[in-house]
Amino acid sequence: MKVLIAGAGSVGKHMAQQLVQSGHEVTIVDNDPNVVGDKDERSPVNGVTWYLGDACEVTFLDKVGIHEVDVVAAATGDDEDNLVVSLLSKQEFAVPRVVARVNNPKNEWMFTEMWGVDVSVSTPHLLTALVEEAVNVGSLVRLLSLEGGRARLDEVTLAESSPAIGKEIRDAGFPRESAVVAIVRAGHVVVPRLDTVLQSGDEVLVLVSGEGDEADQVVRQALVG
Amino acid sequence: MGLLRRSKSGTIVDDEPEVEVGQVTPLGELQARQRVRIVGEVARMKTRPGHGIPALTVTLQDTTGKALVVWTGRRAIGGITLGRRLLVEGVAFNRGGTLEFVNPVYTLLPRSASS
Repeated sequence: MKVLIAGAGSVGKHMAQQLVQSGHEVTIVDNDPNVVGDKDERSPVNGVTWYLGDACEVTFLDKVGIHEVDVVAAATGDDEDNLVVSLLSKQEFAVPRVVARVNNPKNEWMFTEMWGVDVSVSTPHLLTALVEEAVNVGSLVRLLSLEGGRARLDEVTLAESSPAIGKEIRDAGFPRESAVVAIVRAGHVVVPRLDTVLQSGDEVLVLVSGEGDEADQVVRQALVG
Repeated sequence: MGLLRRSKSGTIVDDEPEVEVGQVTPLGELQARQRVRIVGEVARMKTRPGHGIPALTVTLQDTTGKALVVWTGRRAIGGITLGRRLLVEGVAFNRGGTLEFVNPVYTLLPRSASS
């Protein structure tokens, strides 16, 4: 896939590196000549096309071939810039998938379809979720919101007191709007089937859809009690 | 620009309704991610009411097909009514099989003009 990353900070560079390793075609743009100029020394990112310029300019985006990319990642350290890049990508170039980085959680509400954002990633939010996930056994943690909040990825590490233990997934009482997408058991991923029996200590990942969080409450009821 | 004047009967009459439509792509031949000009008739209008961001979604159709046009941040646009013909210029993206324009440039066309 072709990916365009706006912002060659540590986040942007890291993304570029990982994406190139997984075989994607990556273009990275930044308006800081020092960052772009240093590419050989500081960054080990090979196979990445670099451009120096302002990603908030339509003409520049056009020049770097945005009309061919599959994904745009707005990964600068500036929320305003990320929003402008997202909006231009969607509105002017109809990029199928726009991912934007939220720097200040206070701005998160703006990172929606309104500004052309398909998926927003908020580092502080993610950190909170991961910390919660690390310290909490037997409670429901929201790892990720997708589709502007209409779908959520929830995680529960099953405590010994969980009502789901010893039950098969089909009998555990999951609502229709949910799907168990993976179970991490003793460090291994178990592909969930209807007859998979849940055990204490299982990390259960559930994808839940729908407005509001009624379905999440039902999932919580089923897995936490 | 056409001149608007009020006729004796009180209705507003457009004296010079001619708009340079130029070359347009039939909706049936529309492709995603290309800058195009299209002309279509408003077949459906939908606003997202209440909570969330307001947006006006319009379905345009011609004899070959249809396309969606979305204007975000507004619930209505003066002049855009059912049956109105619009000239729209922009880049469409594919949303689940339907081509959709977001906040494109638009021109209102008189109903009677031939395409």
